Amino acid sequence: MRIILANIMAIYRKELLSYFASPLAYSIAAVFWFVAGCFFMTILLGEINQAAIVDQQYGATVPPFDVPYRVLQGFLNVMGSFSLFILPMLSMGLYAEERKRGTLELLATSPITNWAVAVGKLLGVVTFFTAILTPVLGYEAIALSAADSPVPFVVPLLGHLGLILVAASVLSLGMFISSLTDSTVVAAIFTFVAVLLLWTIDLFGQMFGGVVGAVFGYLSLLKHYSNLVQGVLDTSSLVFFASFIVLGIFLTAQSIDAFRFQRS
Amino acid sequence: MIEVEHLSKIYGSTPAIEDVTFTVEPGEIVGFLGPNGAGKTTTMRILAGYLPATSGTARIAGYDVHEDSIAVRQRIGYLPEVPPLYPEMTVEGFLHFVTQIKGVPAGDRALAINSALKRCNLEEKRKVLIRKLSKGFRQRVGIAQALVHDPPAIILDEPTVGLDPRQIIEMRKLIKSLAGSHTIILSTHILPEVSMTCSRVAIINRGQIVVTNTPENLEASLIEGSGYEVEVEGDADTALERLRALSGIRLVESMAMEHLPENRSVYRIVSETGAEPGREIATALVSAGLGLCEMRRTRASLEDVFLQLTTSEKAIADEEVLKKSKVKNQKSKWAEEERDRGAEENSHSVLSTKDEAITESQSSSSEESEKQKGIGDS
Repeated sequence: MRIILANIMAIYRKELLSYFASPLAYSIAAVFWFVAGCFFMTILLGEINQAAIVDQQYGATVPPFDVPYRVLQGFLNVMGSFSLFILPMLSMGLYAEERKRGTLELLATSPITNWAVAVGKLLGVVTFFTAILTPVLGYEAIALSAADSPVPFVVPLLGHLGLILVAASVLSLGMFISSLTDSTVVAAIFTFVAVLLLWTIDLFGQMFGGVVGAVFGYLSLLKHYSNLVQGVLDTSSLVFFASFIVLGIFLTAQSIDAFRFQRS
Repeated sequence: MIEVEHLSKIYGSTPAIEDVTFTVEPGEIVGFLGPNGAGKTTTMRILAGYLPATSGTARIAGYDVHEDSIAVRQRIGYLPEVPPLYPEMTVEGFLHFVTQIKGVPAGDRALAINSALKRCNLEEKRKVLIRKLSKGFRQRVGIAQALVHDPPAIILDEPTVGLDPRQIIEMRKLIKSLAGSHTIILSTHILPEVSMTCSRVAIINRGQIVVTNTPENLEASLIEGSGYEVEVEGDADTALERLRALSGIRLVESMAMEHLPENRSVYRIVSETGAEPGREIATALVSAGLGLCEMRRTRASLEDVFLQLTTSEKAIADEEVLKKSKVKNQKSKWAEEERDRGAEENSHSVLSTKDEAITESQSSSSEESEKQKGIGDS
């Protein structure tokens, strides 16, 4: 057990090192921060203006609406969709790059199990995503600290936890797709398509209705994500994300192992 | 230490290796010799547990490479065809990572890394990013990676590719120094490499082991294909006539050369097995009043040795007509391939192909006569 843990840590550290030494990762982070900043400003100013207009027109006749909460929700929803574009770029190289460089041959001939490699890699990339998400948390802290009635700490926290869980699920899927090819571009495109499908599967579900619709709805990443963004901690959502992540790791380990069993 | 039995690997319908059987004793260095595409890398990959064999078994230190993959992986160091390196890591950092995943205890890592760096002459490059290393240094890091955890068995796929001559000599010394305490199997397509480092050689061609022998015996068979290359001044017809009249010579070929001074011609002479016609050639040319401008001894290339070995194999397999025809088919295929390659390469190999074509026709005619004899007997 200790050996497995040590192996996972070795892979994890190597992955982190490769992110923090890679110009691609920094450019992704830069784009992420810039776009996230723009979204945040737009949503924040938009909500404040809207609140001001409502205030002017109706005065105290309508119940006051919770600007900080709306800002947070709007922003996290946008960030969720925006992450769809960023995440395939982070996951595309996980295995495809190793294949291309031939380093998969080193990993596959070392006394380390495939799933330990997969877990280490996923942890690494999720950590990197969390790291680039942290400054965004700073934007919110600054803006929300000015809120009149203080925002409960748990609401943004739950939202961000949701974002990280969605990211981990998407990255887990992306890792599996990346393990199937040695082209990073192909991996990125297929991951993007697959994630888009899972994001919007809810809409197809609504077309069918009934049990099929419910199943489709349950599979929708977006639906589980919006639960968490709204501050609802639903166990079924947590189970969904956890199983999604585990499935991704399992499939990755299997796909790397698969060709070892092609034996007559 | 390494036991391989009836190993086959089939990609789709094309066999990469067929029925490969050999053993490597502990402490031995065995060279795997073969042209590109002969199945060297496939065999190495199966031994390292990277690829599964279609059939047959391979055992390292008593563990099956497929069934007890992890146990085998703990006991091998493997240098793939392309050194598996992370360009963003430093040499030291990379080796540290390798010791981690190879399960070297934390306390022994620094020592293991230092010793590997020293062995591979990488100490000065310790803190350099792998990205910034030249190809030769990368290859050395690849080798350091294979022996950093001091495994009992080391598998090296073309270890000297990309090294300069001095580095190659160092690498051979390094590999030799590992013998005894380690069992090494290395692949190469360079013949002298094998004779200088290995205690035994397995020659693989088109997925089958053609011969397993010591380099000394292989060297002996090499002499068969040796000969001379002479540059002659004077009448070309006379020279050719004189040379052909000599005994102990199998073949004389005029070679097309560019930038040759006027009135000069170059010939390639292949001597018969065991014959040393150097003196006769010189005497014949000089006594004919021709100028001998250059005379150079030529050694057989790997391709020549291969064809010779397949020929001698045929002599053993001759009892069985069926088997014989199979070998013959294989050989003619080989000759075809050789011809294709020759077209791209220099004129020398074209000539060697012609030479082979001649021996081919000779041997096939003798085969036919034997076949008839066989029919008569039955």
